[in-house]
Amino acid sequence: MSAATVPAAFEVYRFDPAHDKTPRYQRYTLDLSPHTVVLTALLRIRAEVDPSLTLRYSCRSAICGSCAMQINSKSRLACEAHVGPEMARHGRIVVEPMRNQPVLRDLVVDQTPFWQQYDRIEPHLKLDPARPMPEGKVTAMTPEEVNRFRETPRCIACAACYSACPAVEADAGFPGPMALAKLYRFVVDPRDQAHQDRLLRIQPNGLWLCLRCHLCTEACPKDVRPSERIRDLKEMAIAAEGATELGSRHAVGFKENIVDRGLLNEMRLVRQTYGTVGMLGQVGQGLKIVRKKPEIARKPARIADLEEVEKIYEALDRSPPKEEG
Amino acid sequence: MKLAYYPGCVAQSSGKELDLATRYVCRALSVELAEFPNFSCCGSGFVDEANEVLNIALNARNLAIAERAGLNVLTICSTCQGMLSLANLRLKDPAVRSRVDGALRPLGIEYRGSVVVKHLLQVLTQDVGLDAVRAKVRRPLAGLKVGAFYGCHLLRPADELAWEDGEEPHAFEDLLQAVGASPVYYRGRVMCCGFPIQFVKAETASRVAGRQILDAKAHGADAMATPCPLCHISLDAYQNQAAKAVEAPLDMPVFHLPQVVALAFGATPQELGLSRHLVPTDSALAKIGASAVA
Repeated sequence: MSAATVPAAFEVYRFDPAHDKTPRYQRYTLDLSPHTVVLTALLRIRAEVDPSLTLRYSCRSAICGSCAMQINSKSRLACEAHVGPEMARHGRIVVEPMRNQPVLRDLVVDQTPFWQQYDRIEPHLKLDPARPMPEGKVTAMTPEEVNRFRETPRCIACAACYSACPAVEADAGFPGPMALAKLYRFVVDPRDQAHQDRLLRIQPNGLWLCLRCHLCTEACPKDVRPSERIRDLKEMAIAAEGATELGSRHAVGFKENIVDRGLLNEMRLVRQTYGTVGMLGQVGQGLKIVRKKPEIARKPARIADLEEVEKIYEALDRSPPKEEG
Repeated sequence: MKLAYYPGCVAQSSGKELDLATRYVCRALSVELAEFPNFSCCGSGFVDEANEVLNIALNARNLAIAERAGLNVLTICSTCQGMLSLANLRLKDPAVRSRVDGALRPLGIEYRGSVVVKHLLQVLTQDVGLDAVRAKVRRPLAGLKVGAFYGCHLLRPADELAWEDGEEPHAFEDLLQAVGASPVYYRGRVMCCGFPIQFVKAETASRVAGRQILDAKAHGADAMATPCPLCHISLDAYQNQAAKAVEAPLDMPVFHLPQVVALAFGATPQELGLSRHLVPTDSALAKIGASAVA
């Protein structure tokens, strides 16, 4: 081993459904420069040690989005993860396929669910034939308008966010971060003429299942920041459609709840979200909690200077928004 | 050390035991808590979904209260920590700033942006220091395997909060070691507890919570501990629902972060309100030789 290399200990997920009952982890140790990326190491393993190792890749330059996988449990591009820092942090490099998509073989997953969710948001401009763009104005956007979605076009559809998302993991109905970030891009595009319809249709079993855990924003190799765009969509959905879903009722209910006393009235929030009748479904669990934590059924103290909070609401929530700029 | 104590809504209500334990730990370590009865709710990640600028303005008001007193803020909730810190950051955007200032100025409130918001975990590990914590330990939690559960808003977005390594944090595990416990490392420790959608789709929320509890259990945890009372609701108060969602029996005691520290400092279960938990903590207490909850 030369001074410039480190022994890189790989544990690579191997699974061929045609032959294997269960997955196994195969160990390979290579002396590599710490600057070597994991993809290069995997290709070397395939070329020199084990030609059966199956993985998906193309450009090797973080442009195509093909080589997303889990490296030491984090969803990321193999062509961007360096051997040195991974070894320093974990003492080994565990390589596994992306999560939330069925494994086809070794590190290759079936991306069908990811793309189906992308199709669900109808990722194309919808123009109203009755309202054609003015002559010579096919790209009628100001720089400010383009700037509103400057982050989302960077997406390379690698699915690292989809793999990292705990809402997808727990609920296959959730569209996932990438689809919602792309949806945002069309909702704020001034040329698109289906904003209202898009916001309406994404709400049931969609938008409001986001956990805002920001794991997608951490996983994204292109800093698209899906979790922040999903928050934007929620606010736009409420502005356009009102509180029509449990999720939006909860957000709006919460906002109206805390101006009453300055602190959250927990029991009242349950009623605001579910309604008086819907609240009955919560009674069983509610009683279990109230027995241990009786304060939950009481009003909170009223904060001092509550009128300041009321005035902030009047200025920023009760009056119609002022024209921007 | 004196800090503006921002307990948040839950620790003043259903999560009162968190407030009890915080006061116990801060008293032991001579961290003086300045109280402000005019602090409002942080918005909890819900108000900003309905109106982000409003939420930022509410927190600018909270931060201005601490600024007027010349104090930094101590939070004991990952979500409060995240919301107050993000308000600090978003206020650097001139467009946001001018709308917020426009609402605050007529009230005679000005926030100059000088306040640092710190969670108890950060204060204990970075400001008080682990040596000072160690010096107060009277009952080391030897043999107790604890799975730290951080809570999303304490860590992410990591590039904006950045007080810890957002991907592989270790402050909580360092603290657990300092009080004699054995930290358990598991994937779920930085995952979500499911709480934000408890009211949207309870079954999905419970499945998210259940997976993390199962993960901690599979890695040998005797108990979990969290710096977030909202995570505590999900992991403790709704653990029976989580068990149903993942179709596995669960009986994982879940502590609030300062409860773990206070137990090591010699506090009794009664002083820490452990009887208020939905999942009994007796099995964990037995391991450290503390008397069970009456």
